[in-house]
Amino acid sequence: MNPLPIDPKNLPLVSGDEFQGNLSQILLLVILLGTAAYLLLQHGLVKSKMMAASGAALFAVAGLMAFTSIPMELESVVRMCFSILAVAGGIAFITAREPVHAALGFATAVLSACGVLFMQSAYFIAAATMIVYAGATIIIFLFVLMFAQKAKLQQYDVQLTSPVIAAAVATSLLFAIAWSVSEPGEILPVKLDLTRPYSLAAPGSAPGEAMPPVPDPAMSTEQLAEFTPGKTSGLGRSMFTDYLLAIELAGTVLLVATIGAIVLAQKPERDPS
Amino acid sequence: MNHSEVQNLLVLGGILFAIGLIGFLTRRSLILMFLSLETMLSGVSLNLIVFSRYHQNYQGQILAVMVLTIAACEAAIALAMVVSLYRRKATLDVQAWDELSETILPKDPQGDYPGMDKEESYPKLIPAGLDPLAKPVPSSMQATIEQASSLHESKLNESKTSSAVSEVNQRA
Repeated sequence: MNPLPIDPKNLPLVSGDEFQGNLSQILLLVILLGTAAYLLLQHGLVKSKMMAASGAALFAVAGLMAFTSIPMELESVVRMCFSILAVAGGIAFITAREPVHAALGFATAVLSACGVLFMQSAYFIAAATMIVYAGATIIIFLFVLMFAQKAKLQQYDVQLTSPVIAAAVATSLLFAIAWSVSEPGEILPVKLDLTRPYSLAAPGSAPGEAMPPVPDPAMSTEQLAEFTPGKTSGLGRSMFTDYLLAIELAGTVLLVATIGAIVLAQKPERDPS
Repeated sequence: MNHSEVQNLLVLGGILFAIGLIGFLTRRSLILMFLSLETMLSGVSLNLIVFSRYHQNYQGQILAVMVLTIAACEAAIALAMVVSLYRRKATLDVQAWDELSETILPKDPQGDYPGMDKEESYPKLIPAGLDPLAKPVPSSMQATIEQASSLHESKLNESKTSSAVSEVNQRA
């Protein structure tokens, strides 16, 4: 697949500094969060105020711990604020009794995650996520809620199925994820990927034919910023060259889903008899 | 972009995924289960974008666009299904649909819902346009159809004569 006369095992390194993990801190954070989630859930939503308060306190401790672990620069502080807000919105989403409050928690979580995406310079994805999730999904959700929700809270709004097992499963999953990303050397150094020449952030003047530029520590900050995949035009270039077929398929899937939604949401026909 | 930033954001994506998992496993309201799924998807697309930036190419962002597309399709289909399920049993409780799972499990004692004995009906597409096999043709459409067919025939004749002329020319 590699059009250039380079051994694929010997591609140039893009960034190769050694990775120092802080495993124990993150694992402690995960356990704190899992306990907080269970205490806020309980059997059925918020049966004891004491347990809920202790869960909120645990969450605050976890947030503080996460906050002290980052360097005190503006960018990382803002990113951490967005992250904590996203997790808080998510926890509010799973613990709210009223479905509308849960939807507000979901919107908070998704909008804060979009803030993080903006800071990762994925502007198009962040805007599209806001429109699709926080716009379309929440609106449709509220319509369905108006259609189907009873005035009083129902049994199934408050009662939960096996919160202990769910919290344990999710915590152990998160434990595994955190372990696998924070052990030293688990995130590999990045090599230049030449199999999709138009998808590189800095593809050079002749993508796929000449060697693209490689970041160098001696470069200035502006030159290094060229290697951030942040341009929407770059996303479009990649989308309509390397991934053209996939994008067409995605459009087809959208069309089929639209027709399916129209068919499913119709009123059933009345029998003439 | 340094490593600890990557690591923090990957853990954030994992946390969002785990929150969605807890919501999906515990909640009993159909709509909230579906919103939990969306939370899981947003955690996944966060991961993809972090790796896109780390690897300095757009491949992760393209995958995130795919995730977004599928999430939009899923929202449309799932809510349409919720509406049609609600029409059948007038409840949003997922345990009302227990009979779709294994039948050997004990039944929920309080699982009686109004409208359970209703006749089942399946969705149908409304036919559009004229049925070409339907006779007689509605009188309002008769004139249009004749006009169109005469136009078609005259075009056919024209093309036949022109091809005959060209054949004669070729022979000559």
